[in-house]
Amino acid sequence: MADLSANSARPEIGASAPGFWSRLQQIPRYYIYLLLAMVVIWQILFPIFLPITPSATTRGLEEAIRTVPEGKLVLISADWDSSTQAETGPQTAAVIEACLRHHKPFVLMTLAPPMGAKLAHNIASEIAKRYHARYGVDWANWGYKYGTSNVLMAMVKDVPKMVGSDFYGQPVKSLPIMKGVRTVKDIGLVVEVTGLAGMTEMWIGLIQGPQGVPFSAAYTAVMAPGYYPYLDSGQIEGMLVGAKGAAEMEVLIARPGRGMAIMSAQSWAHVLIMLFIIVGNLGYLLARGRERRG
Amino acid sequence: MTGTEIAILWAAAIATLGVYSILYRENPVSRLLEHIFVGLAAGYLLVTTWTQNLQAKWWAPMVDSGRWYWVFAPVIGLLFYFIYSRRLAWLARLAMGIYFGQAAGVYFREFFPLYSPQIWASFKPLRPIFDAAAPPVSVSLAWWSVVIQNWLFVAVLLTVMSYFIFSVPHEGKAGRALGKSALMGRWFLMIAFGAMFGNTVMARISLFIGRVQFLLQDWLGHYVHWLAQRGM
Repeated sequence: MADLSANSARPEIGASAPGFWSRLQQIPRYYIYLLLAMVVIWQILFPIFLPITPSATTRGLEEAIRTVPEGKLVLISADWDSSTQAETGPQTAAVIEACLRHHKPFVLMTLAPPMGAKLAHNIASEIAKRYHARYGVDWANWGYKYGTSNVLMAMVKDVPKMVGSDFYGQPVKSLPIMKGVRTVKDIGLVVEVTGLAGMTEMWIGLIQGPQGVPFSAAYTAVMAPGYYPYLDSGQIEGMLVGAKGAAEMEVLIARPGRGMAIMSAQSWAHVLIMLFIIVGNLGYLLARGRERRG
Repeated sequence: MTGTEIAILWAAAIATLGVYSILYRENPVSRLLEHIFVGLAAGYLLVTTWTQNLQAKWWAPMVDSGRWYWVFAPVIGLLFYFIYSRRLAWLARLAMGIYFGQAAGVYFREFFPLYSPQIWASFKPLRPIFDAAAPPVSVSLAWWSVVIQNWLFVAVLLTVMSYFIFSVPHEGKAGRALGKSALMGRWFLMIAFGAMFGNTVMARISLFIGRVQFLLQDWLGHYVHWLAQRGM
């Protein structure tokens, strides 16, 4: 009878062959972490920037913001929190920067998780100061709105009623930026910035599709590949992919910021990981060949 | 920086280092910080839901505008707690029924606007015809580019779909052809998973860089700046 205990698992290739290539299979993971940390620290302290060429998806988002009709708002749905801040923070900053550069009024809203309202607010306040943009006139924050799909369905009928009060607790009806905003159709573009799966489906299924409101998005790199079919079908007009997308947007609007700051460390960390993969696989193949030869 | 800001800075730095200590091994510090993070997130959700939602939309109209009957609004939600009573558990099922029914209704409403454009978009012209009124700059190059993309798209779509036909044995002439198509589909899926994994690595590295940036620039950087100001 076969022994199914953990100790009887197939021995690792190279485990019995003590050569250089075999030892590559047994490097403690701490050394890999340490090397990665060293590369990241080196690049943050002494960055060597590699060229960044904006992709078609980023160009799509920039164009979508640039072509928002006069008098219509850009709604940035900041559905992220500190767990993805390293990617979604620079993305939110890049989208806000693009709105202000193109003189498009924007509002922030968070459907989930609630921390997004405060984190996005801090970013917007900081950037707005540089552009002398006034709260309530050039931008506003609707705050965290509980209820996800119910919020979106209520927005179809009456946006000010659904929003009620803003981030500071004042009625949104009193804000000049809300002049002329009644239903969701008065919004010129929705930009969803998120690390959560399922939010885009709600926006497209309840707002973009039935109401015809243009939709774009900025996703964490983990989830972005799943949304390329939506780009192909035209449901999403443009998309930022991870911190790289933020850096590309910063290149497009000629305003280097948080995304660019990450990209040098990111690029060199990728080079290191590629080296790990190549060396690891080479070691595996050579050790296997050696074992086969006896 | 004020004293409170410095305390926050140190708390964030200690939390970052403590959480990353899990890379060495499972330890009580990272476990404690994990619990603190979950507790903070739950507390923050509770407070924000009250201050930015319930207070203005439920409490104020009920107390200030005389809509006393809104006091019954949370009753359906509270029914969930009857799950702990064996005798009255049916009341909790009532609340669940309402909740599931609402969720199913919303999903049904979302489904067609969400997926039908993707089905239409998958019908690609294999012999595209350009608009004669506005031809591209280089018709032949653009035409070949679109042709190759569309053929590739259709081939990947069909082979990947054939991979998920599990009810037909890969025997006989047609079965073997299906098997070959399914094998190709599996290769395409592997390429897609590879791209997804690459993106996952990129995302994880970004998060790590974000924390290292905080430690070097915000935390240590604050003291480097402080020392520089004093000519040290």
